[in-house]
Amino acid sequence: MKQPLNLNINGENRLMLVEPYYSLLDCLRDDAQLTGAKKGCDEGDCGACTVLMDGKPVTSCLVLAHSAHDSAITTIEGLADVDGLSPVQKAFVEHGGLQCGFCIPGLIMSATGFLQENPNPTEEDVRFAIGGNLCRCTGYARVVEAVMAAAQEIRETS
Amino acid sequence: MTTQFKVLERNYPRVDAYEKVTGRATYASDVYLPGMLACKLLPSTRSHARIVRLDTSKAASHPGVRCVVTGTDFPDFRFGSGALRDRYVMPREVVNFVGEPIAAVAADDEAAAQEAIELIEVEYEDLPAVVNPLSAIGSGAATVHPELENYEGYGFTLGHNVSTLLDADRGDVDQAFRDADVVVEDVYRSQGINQGFLEPMACVADVEPNGRLVIYASTQGPYQIRAALASVLEIPVSRIRVVAMELGGGFGAKLRLAFEAFPALLAMKTGRPVKLVNTREEVFTMNGPRLPVTNYIRSGVMQDGTIVAREAYTIFDVGAYLGAGPNSGIGHGIGAYRVPNFRLRSYGVYTNKIYVGSYRASGVADMTFAVESHMDRIAHELGIDPYDLRVKNALREGDVSVSGAVVPTNGLMNTLEAIREKIDWPRDLEDGHGVGLALCEWRSGSGPSTAAISVNDDGTVSLLTGSVDISGSDTSLAAIAAEALGIPMENVVVSKRDTDQAPYTGQSGGSRIVYSQGTAVQRAAENTVEKLTALAAERLGLPEDALGCEDGRIYVMDNEPQGLTFAQLAAASITSRGGPIIGTASLSSMPYTPVFAAQAAEVKVDRATGQVKVLRYIQAQDVGTAINPMAVEGQLDGGVVQGIGRALTEDQQFDPETGAVRNPSFASYLMPLAIDLPELENVLINVPAPDGPFGARAVAEPPGFGPPAAIANAVYDAVGVRIKELPLSGERVLAALNGQNAEIDFDVDALRRAEGVAAD
Repeated sequence: MKQPLNLNINGENRLMLVEPYYSLLDCLRDDAQLTGAKKGCDEGDCGACTVLMDGKPVTSCLVLAHSAHDSAITTIEGLADVDGLSPVQKAFVEHGGLQCGFCIPGLIMSATGFLQENPNPTEEDVRFAIGGNLCRCTGYARVVEAVMAAAQEIRETS
Repeated sequence: MTTQFKVLERNYPRVDAYEKVTGRATYASDVYLPGMLACKLLPSTRSHARIVRLDTSKAASHPGVRCVVTGTDFPDFRFGSGALRDRYVMPREVVNFVGEPIAAVAADDEAAAQEAIELIEVEYEDLPAVVNPLSAIGSGAATVHPELENYEGYGFTLGHNVSTLLDADRGDVDQAFRDADVVVEDVYRSQGINQGFLEPMACVADVEPNGRLVIYASTQGPYQIRAALASVLEIPVSRIRVVAMELGGGFGAKLRLAFEAFPALLAMKTGRPVKLVNTREEVFTMNGPRLPVTNYIRSGVMQDGTIVAREAYTIFDVGAYLGAGPNSGIGHGIGAYRVPNFRLRSYGVYTNKIYVGSYRASGVADMTFAVESHMDRIAHELGIDPYDLRVKNALREGDVSVSGAVVPTNGLMNTLEAIREKIDWPRDLEDGHGVGLALCEWRSGSGPSTAAISVNDDGTVSLLTGSVDISGSDTSLAAIAAEALGIPMENVVVSKRDTDQAPYTGQSGGSRIVYSQGTAVQRAAENTVEKLTALAAERLGLPEDALGCEDGRIYVMDNEPQGLTFAQLAAASITSRGGPIIGTASLSSMPYTPVFAAQAAEVKVDRATGQVKVLRYIQAQDVGTAINPMAVEGQLDGGVVQGIGRALTEDQQFDPETGAVRNPSFASYLMPLAIDLPELENVLINVPAPDGPFGARAVAEPPGFGPPAAIANAVYDAVGVRIKELPLSGERVLAALNGQNAEIDFDVDALRRAEGVAAD
């Protein structure tokens, strides 16, 4: 039977009724109607479902929704504001760091969480940070380039 | 870069980039409709068996379940991926592989649907099964399709369990082998490969109040899905609308009908929308991957390195059904080389495992691994530099390709030279380090292509095509339209497609969209300019040939300030005789335009573990005019990384007894991660194609062909062992270093005897 769950999603408090067996990913997609996080494998292998939970990247398919009770969740839908794209989103656009786009919400969330921890990474740091995100289209070259450019942008503007 | 173009040869972000980085792009699994039911499938647990009893009564009465269908609920109709119709959309009596869906449930939610699936009772009577294609082709093996000869579209073939046999011959092969100074013979084997698209197969089926079926699909070919659904459901094409949603990768796997018929029938029976999203395990076990390929290859060569004869026998395992043909094997048996005499054979052999699907020019990567490894073997046998051997035998303009087409102007030699320069060939490296080369060839894809361009009130245009964007092609098509119309990129709006709205177009695959569809767009733009010019001529009272088109306006050539902007003409068109401006173009075939790429790998082999590390990977490809260089490089990067995965880690494994997929997850099927890769170095060679939009060639497929051979050749250079089987796992390389490198068993004489060719 569905049970009440309180989440702060993208800055907004949401009280929802969610099945006890639902993952955070299913809750976001089915109950909160936020379909930006993708279900690529539902086994924690692909990283397409990555969101920030209290600021840290998690594969939301492996988090039980109710274990996230009272947490702050940031999804890809929460990054851009009325002023436009976040530095990471902008860098992915400008550097061609996306193709089919299915892995991109997860990659951008992994990169966003990582750059909050380490705004001055080496290229190898970036490759490790996105090491849990599978992408089949880009070969990662332009993704890495985009994350490095975003890091620079963040450093210059903060 | 200096350029003659106003729009092309510049970097543009993708037209869909904002939707994708904000999570707003809508893929099929993101479609949620009111009252939507969830669909789940029951897989066969047997490799070859008769269904004796299939009892769905408990499932049907389970709470939340709305409908259950099995094979006999579908019309008694076999369909196929090509001419040969060998397959029911859901088996009626006999299952042919472990994983084959035999029932589908629609329920209020996924949990109820899955519970119901587990309540279905099945009783099987096992039939003899065969898993290894090299055994299956022998007369004593179990028969996968006893009724094969009665199937529609079956053509005569040689051998047992053979779906198709393709051949290509030129010259007097046997005499040429007798005349050759040296004969080199090899057998190569490449592994099963999963396409690895990140978005699982997904579909939502809905029935409109008037009874029309609407399919929200994850597909590379909306019109092909529509036609196939019409056949298997026995309803008219006009009663089906397919909406192609954003596509989360396909790489060939989503070219044809997959599981859309299941939610479609369930939606028709319940009157409710039905959604099917495959799990990752289902993607691996139900939807056709590439299956292993065994290649026998023999060459007759003169002492100076001239190749005079080639014989190749290729066994393509096609699994239970011919999900994708082995056609590509034939054309690539001689590679990018002049070979005056050849005998090439490709057998498609049925086995009781998951049916074969398409993946990035299916079969060509397998052939390239064999041909390009074999080239190095010839070079070492003769003591000739592998680079020089390739240059000596490479195709030149005016040569005749396998298919008989004359090779037009191309940049093959430029790609080889670029690679030599970049890697500083020949290199003398320390022990354990090596470099290897591969030469790749493909052609720019053809097929039905259409485009319509309408001029909007403000002088912008809307571009409508029926082709699905799988590689950034919408952005490239917009650039082609902008260039041809003389307007900026941002003045082109690319419309999303749907079979009710967009003109008929072939599938997006085989590197054909920019080349063929791009040509249609260029011609539609030219047609638009003609119509704008005619209207301007009428309004200005001048002959059409007095007018030119530039910067979004039609102007008077003798008096440039005089003219009419596209916006003015759009307004004028409303009240003109001709009416609103819409330019169109269609085509179905394009001339043969080859694409060549040279690649080099530098590797380090750990002698203690056999691990191969790629230190550098360089590719030079003749892309013709680079429409959008950033996107072109993105294609090169992505393709080559898929090839590196194929070379080193990816290996779809099958149980030797049951044929079941053994590693149906991303944790066990190892695709490259960012941490596994070297920096990728690309060189774009720009020899404009004689045909194709503004001289562009196809781009996407060749990058993935080269890495297995380039890396295998580099491993040989590094440690002196020749690996003829993929992937080059640490285990396999280590075994070879320890002298346990078994030759692959292949009875080519049996195949030669079967067609009456004298065995050697």
